[in-house]
Amino acid sequence: MTQPRAQSARPGEGSGRHTPIRVVLVDDHRMFRTGVRSELAAEAAERIEIVGEAPDVESAIAVIKAEQPDVVLLDVHLPGGTGQGGVDVLRGCVAQESRRGQPIRFLALSVSDAAEDVIAVIRAGARGYVTKTITATDLTTAVRRVAEGDAVFSPRLAGFVLDAFGAAAGELAEVDEELDRLSAREREVMRLIARGYQYKEVAKELFISIKTVETHVSSVLRKLQLSSRHELTTWAMGRKLI
Amino acid sequence: MPTPYDRYAPAPAPARPRLERPLAGRWLGGVCAGIGAHLGVDPRAVRWVVAALTFFGVGLPAYLFLWALTPEAQAQPAVDPASGRPAPVVERAVAGLERSRYGALLAVGGLVVAVGGLAALQGLGLDVRAGVLVPLILVAAGAVVVWSDLDEAGRAKALDAGGDGQRGYLWLRVGLGLTLAVVGITVLASRGAGVAVLLDSLLAAAAVLFGVAIIGAPWALRLWAQARREQEAAARATERADIAAHLHDSVLQTLALIQRRAADPAAVATLARAQERELRSWLYAGPAGPDLTLAAAIAAVAHEVEDLTSVPVDLVVTGDRPMEEHGTALTRALREALFNAARHGRPPVSAYVEIGPAGVEAFVRDRGAGFELAAVPEDRLGVRQSILGRMERHGGTARVRRREDGTEVELTLPALEGIPS
Repeated sequence: MTQPRAQSARPGEGSGRHTPIRVVLVDDHRMFRTGVRSELAAEAAERIEIVGEAPDVESAIAVIKAEQPDVVLLDVHLPGGTGQGGVDVLRGCVAQESRRGQPIRFLALSVSDAAEDVIAVIRAGARGYVTKTITATDLTTAVRRVAEGDAVFSPRLAGFVLDAFGAAAGELAEVDEELDRLSAREREVMRLIARGYQYKEVAKELFISIKTVETHVSSVLRKLQLSSRHELTTWAMGRKLI
Repeated sequence: MPTPYDRYAPAPAPARPRLERPLAGRWLGGVCAGIGAHLGVDPRAVRWVVAALTFFGVGLPAYLFLWALTPEAQAQPAVDPASGRPAPVVERAVAGLERSRYGALLAVGGLVVAVGGLAALQGLGLDVRAGVLVPLILVAAGAVVVWSDLDEAGRAKALDAGGDGQRGYLWLRVGLGLTLAVVGITVLASRGAGVAVLLDSLLAAAAVLFGVAIIGAPWALRLWAQARREQEAAARATERADIAAHLHDSVLQTLALIQRRAADPAAVATLARAQERELRSWLYAGPAGPDLTLAAAIAAVAHEVEDLTSVPVDLVVTGDRPMEEHGTALTRALREALFNAARHGRPPVSAYVEIGPAGVEAFVRDRGAGFELAAVPEDRLGVRQSILGRMERHGGTARVRRREDGTEVELTLPALEGIPS
């Protein structure tokens, strides 16, 4: 789940350069969908193709099942379903695969700063979270990264993670596999992302490869999804996830 | 009859006061004092009238009727006039005693006189039909106990001061009153028959009460539920009105401004961002004021810089601690660093502040051409004094790092207990 299954089948680069990443855009604001569509067209027309749009939970699930995209840009707050917005879409698309045979990846988009919203979609299976004020360039990078199976953390999400795992208060994992705390390295990576560093800057700062940075971020995402830490479960319970 | 309570008599209000039983200046239940205040008559006159009426058999029932139906004045918590704080417990207890001393004396005396009078009449050979009177008195006493109890319960609820012990006491009194009333009714019904009949009538009374409860319960429940629903609807309507008012004052006004200044993209962006932030803090922030904690103060500073420079600041804060002078210094230094980044750098400006038990670390980074600290002239107050000097004076450090693209300012502050004051 943390690693793409087949490195050679990576979309958007290498041999896949000629096949753009197929994206479905789920947001209840038509103006926002139009804006993202035109921005992505101007920024990365040959790398990203928007194959479908949906304004609510039911049509989103239908479009995703019909189009089998690589990536779904998913608004956290959506009408329909059981009232849990993006979480409902994620639940309705469990085990769906893209046409490349990869799992469909979800990237959450939100205007919300509320931790419980973000934690909820991440724990429901989204591979990343970015705010809607993100620039087109950064969004393109985020989509590509998510399509490759990596995790995308905004500075804000990194801040949440540091807070939620108590890492900012100095709690660190004894062994890397511990689910309820971050390892020292993961904490460093999260701190740099919170400081606004790009992955390549993080890699340079810590003298590690970009691939290693991505591995650390994916590992944090896994902990975020599986941990039973009190703060995380409380947030998740607030959204009736447990 | 002169009373020592004249000074407590409620001052005549311009409009006729509501009919209610005052807490101060009452003798028994406060009915006469209340009527006096309501009609603008001396309560003593009312008392005499009621006492006179009692001899015609009207006074007592009328008094009880009025006592049961007149609401009691809302209790004001006793306040120490000098300090304005609630008076100490002892003083409050004394005040309560003073309030009820005459009432209790009067009630006990009246009871003694009544019982004595009845016994005397009986002894003189007059049939006062004690078999009827005594149960009637029992029923009345039970009713008084229960009613006064409901009264107190209502007050306790209003003051939200009913602890568990007090509630138990209330239930005890309700139980006692009900028992008295049931016994009175039973005795009245059995009219001095044997124990078996008494038991039978007790059972019958219980059965009737039970039946009434069963028949009445759904109706009462429905009434109660309806009242609850109406209350909730009213609360929702109020909340909706609040939200509408807020949106009107903020979002709609800003949207109007944006339409009028549509030709100026920078102004529009600033307006939109400021409004977004305001709405966000209204939606997600708690009731805390902006200066209560370090995190809140830092957020306020970042917003100020955004507003003044129109450059967006991506601020992430983890942890929090109370505001003190070192925190204030850090906030000011951070403000200067953010201003520098916004003016000389290229957006986005990122700021990350980690407030932990080991101290505070703050990072401000931009993506501009940056500046060399060594190249900053001595007289440039901004960086040297506002940032470096200030942090050092407060036991912290400041560091400016040139990066490939941009500059990063790093501020630290030790833990609270580690700071020499």
